[in-house]
Amino acid sequence: MNKTVFFLGKGGVGKTTLSSAFALSLASMGKKVLIASLDPAHNLGDALDIQLTGQAKNAEPNLDALEVDLAYWVDKYLDDSRRQLKSNYSYNVTLNLDSFFNILKYAPGTEEYAVLWAIEDINTRLGPLYDVVVFDTPPTALSLRFLSLPTISGLWVKELSKLRETILSKRQTITRLNPESPVAESCVDKDDDKVYGQLKGIGARLRGLEHLFACESFLSVIVNPDQLSIDEALRIQDELTKLGIPLSAVCINKQGVSDMVWEQNPSLARYPQFTYDFSRGGISTREDLLSIDTGPLADLFLKNTQNPIIERKKK
Amino acid sequence: MPSKLEHWIRSAIKMITQVNREKATGILEFETHELENIFALLVLGGFAGLPSPPSPIAVELLPYMEKELLMLLSRTDLAQDPIGVLASMLEVG
Repeated sequence: MNKTVFFLGKGGVGKTTLSSAFALSLASMGKKVLIASLDPAHNLGDALDIQLTGQAKNAEPNLDALEVDLAYWVDKYLDDSRRQLKSNYSYNVTLNLDSFFNILKYAPGTEEYAVLWAIEDINTRLGPLYDVVVFDTPPTALSLRFLSLPTISGLWVKELSKLRETILSKRQTITRLNPESPVAESCVDKDDDKVYGQLKGIGARLRGLEHLFACESFLSVIVNPDQLSIDEALRIQDELTKLGIPLSAVCINKQGVSDMVWEQNPSLARYPQFTYDFSRGGISTREDLLSIDTGPLADLFLKNTQNPIIERKKK
Repeated sequence: MPSKLEHWIRSAIKMITQVNREKATGILEFETHELENIFALLVLGGFAGLPSPPSPIAVELLPYMEKELLMLLSRTDLAQDPIGVLASMLEVG
């Protein structure tokens, strides 16, 4: 079922505002909704005027909210690996590798992976408890990186698995021809090889996330009536097309913020468009959020839910 | 009870068979070690600045790669003379 929603766009276009308004709108329709902020600089709690943590907290009848704690996910992941390493390795090797783990926290890609693990956890652990899960994403750069990671990392895992299979098959041949060879003491079977098993496990998780993004998600890009946010939305559209992730809607936020003559880009105009006027008084309370009419967008989403992307693709 | 001669012949045949087996698998073993080394370099090369998968994948595989990691370190000793290793393998010179 298509029940996951992502709001993407340039920083400051109104992702948090519209995703909160959308979640509130669905909750008022009687859907059980979870809204989760993936932005390391969270402001979902500010928008909903409630103190949020990494645990889902009730914000409104039918609406729970959380702010993903990326530092927690990075630490948890590194601690799990460190513990596993200590139980498998001999003492002196563990001692030498310990310093690596201390710097890995800051290695490139770790934060993007932490976002993926958080999405996976929310989708598998919390997803079944809700009708809809709405993700308020970080600005474009980080969002595109975590959306593309399953595909890119999947390629690495596929190639490494192939190489591992070759190694195991050669070990098998050697063991058959010469049972006294030192190679015979190594693992020769795919089912027993822990590295191969681990690669298979990582591959399955990445494929699951790839499927979630490409076939089970409703992605909406938010733009403002200005060229910069449109240009960025076009880049998002390009990247998503390359990754095989379909875009479902375009939201034009802050319409009327200036008198400048503005025209939607034809490439973005082919998606369903939803317009939201600029609020001169600002959005400061939950009532202000409720006053944003995201009903038509919610209707499109619910229509999509009944006719998921995967089925539309098959047709 | 087998005679001393029979025992000697059996041992000799066993030894010849084993030598032939070693010869038959020697190059394959060398190739396998090279592939294992390449695998370790691909996964863990990021730590030394080589192109590698995203470091979190390497970290997930690391706990199961002690043997490969030690081999990678020992291979650095042979890195100065790879042709020599290959020549001795092929019994050249």
